[in-house]
Amino acid sequence: MRWLGAFLVLSGAAFLLGDYHNDVYRKMLLWVTLALGYNFLFGICGQVSFSHFAFYGIGAYSVVILLFQLHVPLPLAILLGVAVCIVVALAVAIPATRLEGFYLALATLALAQLFVVLLNEGGDITGGTGGIANYRLPAMLGLQIRGPWYTGVIVFLLLLTLWVLVKLDRSWFGRACRAVRDNPEAAAAMGIDVARTRVAAFTLTSALAGVAGMVYAFVDNTVNPPIFGLENAFLLLFMVIVGGSGRHAGAVIGAVLLFLLPFWLSPLVGHHHVLVFGVLMLAAILLQPKGLIGLWDQCRHRFSR
Amino acid sequence: MQDFLELAVSATASGCVYGLIALAYLLMIRPTGIINFAVGEWAMVAAFGGYVLLTQHELPYPLGMGIVLAFMLLVGWVTERIAVRPLVEKGAGVLAPILALLGVLVITREIISVSFPPDPLPVPFAVDIQYYKYFVIGITLAVFVAAWLFFEKTVWGRSFEAVALNRRAAALMGINLSRVTAFSFAGGAAVAGLGGLLVAPNISAHYLMGVPLAIQGFTALVIGGVGRVEGALLGGLLLAFAEQFTIRYAPIPGGFAQGVPLLFLMIFLIMRPTGLLKARA
Amino acid sequence: MRFLGFLACTLFAGSVFSQNTIKIGVITDRVGVSKPYSEPATEGVVFGADEINRKGGVLGRKIELLIEDDQSRPDISAALARKLIDQDVVFILSVSLSPATQQQQTVTMEAKVPQMTPMNSADYLTTQLQNPYFWQTGPLGSVQGATLLAHARSKNLKRVALITDNSDLGQAIGKAFKGALEKANIQIVADEVVARGATTAMPQMQKIRAANPEAMFLAGVLTAENVLIFRAYKELGVKFPIHSSYNLSVPIYETVAKGLIDGITFVDAYDPDKPEVKAFVAAYRKAMGKDPQNLHGYGYDGIHLIADAIRRAGSTDKEKIREAMQKTDYAGVMGKKGMKYTFPEGKRAGFDPDGMVVRVYEKDKQGRVVYVGQK
Repeated sequence: MRWLGAFLVLSGAAFLLGDYHNDVYRKMLLWVTLALGYNFLFGICGQVSFSHFAFYGIGAYSVVILLFQLHVPLPLAILLGVAVCIVVALAVAIPATRLEGFYLALATLALAQLFVVLLNEGGDITGGTGGIANYRLPAMLGLQIRGPWYTGVIVFLLLLTLWVLVKLDRSWFGRACRAVRDNPEAAAAMGIDVARTRVAAFTLTSALAGVAGMVYAFVDNTVNPPIFGLENAFLLLFMVIVGGSGRHAGAVIGAVLLFLLPFWLSPLVGHHHVLVFGVLMLAAILLQPKGLIGLWDQCRHRFSR
Repeated sequence: MQDFLELAVSATASGCVYGLIALAYLLMIRPTGIINFAVGEWAMVAAFGGYVLLTQHELPYPLGMGIVLAFMLLVGWVTERIAVRPLVEKGAGVLAPILALLGVLVITREIISVSFPPDPLPVPFAVDIQYYKYFVIGITLAVFVAAWLFFEKTVWGRSFEAVALNRRAAALMGINLSRVTAFSFAGGAAVAGLGGLLVAPNISAHYLMGVPLAIQGFTALVIGGVGRVEGALLGGLLLAFAEQFTIRYAPIPGGFAQGVPLLFLMIFLIMRPTGLLKARA
Repeated sequence: MRFLGFLACTLFAGSVFSQNTIKIGVITDRVGVSKPYSEPATEGVVFGADEINRKGGVLGRKIELLIEDDQSRPDISAALARKLIDQDVVFILSVSLSPATQQQQTVTMEAKVPQMTPMNSADYLTTQLQNPYFWQTGPLGSVQGATLLAHARSKNLKRVALITDNSDLGQAIGKAFKGALEKANIQIVADEVVARGATTAMPQMQKIRAANPEAMFLAGVLTAENVLIFRAYKELGVKFPIHSSYNLSVPIYETVAKGLIDGITFVDAYDPDKPEVKAFVAAYRKAMGKDPQNLHGYGYDGIHLIADAIRRAGSTDKEKIREAMQKTDYAGVMGKKGMKYTFPEGKRAGFDPDGMVVRVYEKDKQGRVVYVGQK
């Protein structure tokens, strides 16, 4: 019931916004979705991965290629796209479980770079540097979903992702992930299969990122390599940290704030907006290492006394 | 054969630069466990320092280099004071300073980006261009020998090792932890700056040069392993050789050749996650 | 600094006249990878708009520029295009990254708002999407390739090398060069890529030397990486001539590649002897206190092309502007002497295929024009 209410409010908002604000809104929602998944991987399971954004790209590109070059019907294309993400994620995750901390970061960093190389060199399949354009979402049941209605699809995706992650977080799997993050040896001693937990978390969040990518593919009806560049992986990390890693609400706050920041700052301070962004980042970590959500906790704590 | 030797010298020079950046990481990781990705931006700051002093003001090279390196010591020390020490004193763990330093990375790049024109700027060679590679190799070897002697032979270096092994025990032994940390950051910044200054005549000083250097240096560090100083150099050389020899000799189209070292790295990580050289017990 | 002041004045002046101005949106990059190219082009746009306003504006109204920074991020770029459309701009001028311009097109196509880029040269911008509201007046990669080839043809080339970088534009121009070479039945004996952030181009240049080409075509657009190529070229002591993309027309090479570029031929859309260029340089120097680059010229032509179309349309009705723009016949700063921007036969890439010139570096200076057009 609460989920339905949230869906109606969040997607209803799209109908009140103009074209521009709706566009910013839906792109922001996609970032929130990604940040939620990344928060589970990084904040809850403790894996520093830079390939999350690459999976977003794999999802986007595979659905477009399947639909418009291989002419696969939409439902099948979505399933196949998810399968592609899962296969790639497993291929990376299973060997990578031998890696800890920043070694995993480096392996996934290499994967993310490799992905962009493949996009650029993919010839007619990926469209090379220009990417793929000139397509649109196939009609479903005779309906063409567009404009604010498509924002509804994104809201649905966001809530679905959140629902999955919250359920998992509260289950034994979430506790296993936290245990693996805090102390792998102790977790193993408690009978948790550390490697399997890590692989499962990595594959699951990567597949979620892939699904978000499929939805992104129809936001502007074009996909191109710069969208999935490496900088975005760092931005995602910043979002989770500034918001407060390990907390769903933190990921939401961080993603909303950092995505909107350039839009607010750019008119105010011109090209210094990235500098302000850096200072805010540093200040946030120095003053409140638990992120903005930590600040909120403090406030609440004070008032409840 | 001539090609091979030529390329070996070129790859060695590139590998030395990667090695210096890796050493900068290592100097900070050993005592603190903190991975400072801002080393690339530090290299950039030094490259711009080289542009200002050597190109604009035409100072003699040794003097200009001295000023830049002294400045970098200061940069490292200040960074530690602002972004690392408050967090360490709060007992915030290792991740918080790493992330704070990512903030420093952004700030450093943007300060450079808004204060200089966006085009790449020239930095002069220290010696004639045909001998420059040997100059880079020579300086790098000197730095590595000095670092090795420092860690192996001096009391100070030993205290770094002690901190690396066990911070609490080191503190009980009377080692001043915050001084060691400050010193390691100052040293790390100077070494990264040296790397930046040495590579700048080739790649020019520009606002986007930091991140690639940070990634190359980190890759070198991981290949070599964080346990030993000489691992950083070895890792740098291996990476540079892998990159340049695949491009030159592997029968792969040019565009894909840049992906080969990445693939190589992923395989390497999986086979040997702790790096080539193990730390001494 | 002066530019910022100037910008502030323009923006301020804009707000005073906002009731009765013609709003034109500009999407540029002030912090990302395109900054070295976007910034001068934007200065050219601002200068051009100011000049038009001083001469009485368009249809008796002043031009008001709304400048947005997309950081070279295509998704942000598309959102900003919507923002500008919400603010009632009649035209959007993009001087950002090619993929960013492309993603803006998905918006302008849907909203039916005229859009143009005066500088992007990737061929796919007008071929991938059939967007009647979009025009491109930068010299296409294929035109650059064909012009260079026409100049080189007198040498009867059979075997050449091709080198580029892994930036999006470098790849696009590389692809266009490859197409032009294959069409001319010239064998490409080496096809190399220098990655952004490389510390040397030695292995690529060795490979090219081993392939023994008669000439090398350079399609790269990253200045720092191109300098690596020239340095390796000099170190390896090879002698084959280098024919380069229009990136070498940026004057920064005169300082950053000092001693490395003598004799390199490059394709340019800028002829310093052209009367329009002389007038532009003099006016710019007087107003801004510094010399413009060719990059300023692209932006300057862009805003003038838009003003010209609005003038001929006689109103700010977007459909009329679209029709007028398609019928453009305008001589600007860029291009060979007497070149006019036109969009014949429904084409939307308006740079005359015969409009580029080939120039040569003499010592460290951009020197004379050695070839014109591609015939």
